[in-house]
Amino acid sequence: MKRLLRSNRLWLMIGLILLLAFPLVQHSQYYQHVMIMTMMAAVLSSSWNILGGYAGYTSLGHAAFFGLGGYLVAWTHNQYGWHPFISTWFLAIIVFAVALILGWISLRTHGSAFVVVTIAMVFIFRLVALNLPDITNGARGLTQDRPGWGGVYWSPEIIKVPFHYIMLLLLCLTVFISWRIQKSKFGLGLIAIREDEGKAEAVGINTMLYKVLAFGISAYFIGVAGGIYSYFFTYIDPQFIFNVFTGVTMVLIALLGGRGTLWGPVLGAFIMEPLENWLVGEFGGTQIHLAVFGSILLAVMLFMPQGILPTLSELIEQRVKARAAQSNV
Amino acid sequence: MTIPSTHLLIQTIILGLLVGGVYALMSSGLTLIFGVMRVINVAHGAFLVLGSYLTYWLFQLLGLDPLLSILLTAPILFVVGWVVQRYVLSRLENPERSSVLVTFALAITMEGLMGVFWKTTLRSVKPDYANEVIKFATYRLPLTRLIGFGSALLVLFILYLILQRTNLGRAIRATIQDRNAAQLVGVNVQMVSALTFGIGIATAAAGGSLLSMIYSFNASSQTDWITRVLSVIVLGGMGSLPGALIASLILGVMEQLTAIVITLYWSPIVFYIALFFILIVRPQGLLGEIVREKA
Repeated sequence: MKRLLRSNRLWLMIGLILLLAFPLVQHSQYYQHVMIMTMMAAVLSSSWNILGGYAGYTSLGHAAFFGLGGYLVAWTHNQYGWHPFISTWFLAIIVFAVALILGWISLRTHGSAFVVVTIAMVFIFRLVALNLPDITNGARGLTQDRPGWGGVYWSPEIIKVPFHYIMLLLLCLTVFISWRIQKSKFGLGLIAIREDEGKAEAVGINTMLYKVLAFGISAYFIGVAGGIYSYFFTYIDPQFIFNVFTGVTMVLIALLGGRGTLWGPVLGAFIMEPLENWLVGEFGGTQIHLAVFGSILLAVMLFMPQGILPTLSELIEQRVKARAAQSNV
Repeated sequence: MTIPSTHLLIQTIILGLLVGGVYALMSSGLTLIFGVMRVINVAHGAFLVLGSYLTYWLFQLLGLDPLLSILLTAPILFVVGWVVQRYVLSRLENPERSSVLVTFALAITMEGLMGVFWKTTLRSVKPDYANEVIKFATYRLPLTRLIGFGSALLVLFILYLILQRTNLGRAIRATIQDRNAAQLVGVNVQMVSALTFGIGIATAAAGGSLLSMIYSFNASSQTDWITRVLSVIVLGGMGSLPGALIASLILGVMEQLTAIVITLYWSPIVFYIALFFILIVRPQGLLGEIVREKA
């Protein structure tokens, strides 16, 4: 029994079953909404983690890819009637390609300079979206048709359910790829880059290729999420979707849960996203949640720079060691 | 795309230079802070807006002229800056790597709090002379911008005197050149860092007081300002004061020119492009050294 409880596979199955059953058990539109947003936050942060966690390059600009995915999906939906649930997976390949190019340019910088470059990236995307009214409809944003399938609109009572499952699918895929990367030679290379890029280069890792690929992959899932998001809300505008704050949230969630770990970003999302929804519900649209997010980020950076998961496993390890030492005496 | 007449062109360049002077004041503190402690203070824009709000308050409640209020806002924010450096930033184990995130967190915290206290209404400070225009030949110079430019130069000059003539200034310059060597010859680097941060934030406050007359602002204006001042110090070369001065004037003029040649809406692109490409193509900027950081 004890061994069974320790096995990760069991916990994974339980989590998956809970998430699969969630919309069947919980009929409140509000909680369904929060759950979808929470899973999306987990996707964004896990995806960010591939570059920011494994390779150690802190990007505050991944909201650019979220927005790009959103706009591609909204535009092709309006223009050609492509259904977002299908098109988003393919259109995110464009996001991936754009990210490869931007990564190839921006990953020449390191440390703080890279962070600043990625912030500038979001602003450039936003400004372009604001000023290309023929495609993006400028500041007024793009509106899409109500969600449905095959000419039938989903009724308001069940409208969140399809979004729940597609987001769950995306979450599973993101975590799976993140896990595969972590276990692969590619992932080891990324971690080597994080620890010491010069040495990684010296032992024969093509650091530029690795970093650019990580940048592209981390943009891909965020692009897919952006596409689903734009359909979920059926409305996007540049101010909202190309927002540095979206990028900061990804970073905060990963840092809180444990940057560079597989499950840290997921854990972080399940803490922060419900909290944000509660704050917005409690205090309305004021900027209080900015202040709360900012102070949590500050506190994490100052007092728990490793995040929850690594700190916990360290504590457990210490306990085990202490016990072993006792039994030896 | 419109080709402006020569007259409009000169008028635009003059306006750009005047705004550039204020940018220089705002970014001088940022570049100084980076030079001394290799910290990119992303919260600079937030401190600036805080300075603007304090000025607004002093003006609304006490009728204090924005220029005089610098005498209050600068010292107040000097203390705030000192405290932030002493009790927050100095605790970081690896400031070069984590300072951007920490100061970013500080920036959004401040933005949120200011948004809660002062709401989102756009404010500006309008003293009696706000709408006066001085005519020079056929060119029109708004008085507030002239005053802003003049006061910015004055504060910059005071800063220059502090740096060149006082012991603190010598210690700051020594620390910028070589932190370890400065420590060896007896400079209290910790103290110098805290004081520099205080001075840097005080200049941001002075800039905020001046800007409150020229532009309207609310809490979220901080993102506009931080991108502007960041691109100034990136173009000028991080840590270089003369670089920041030149870059401010260049970017101020470029911004105004983009506004009339293309449209007003595209003018911020000047700053974003500067930020994005200069760090990649020429990380040392115009006059700075290459920032060497462990990857």
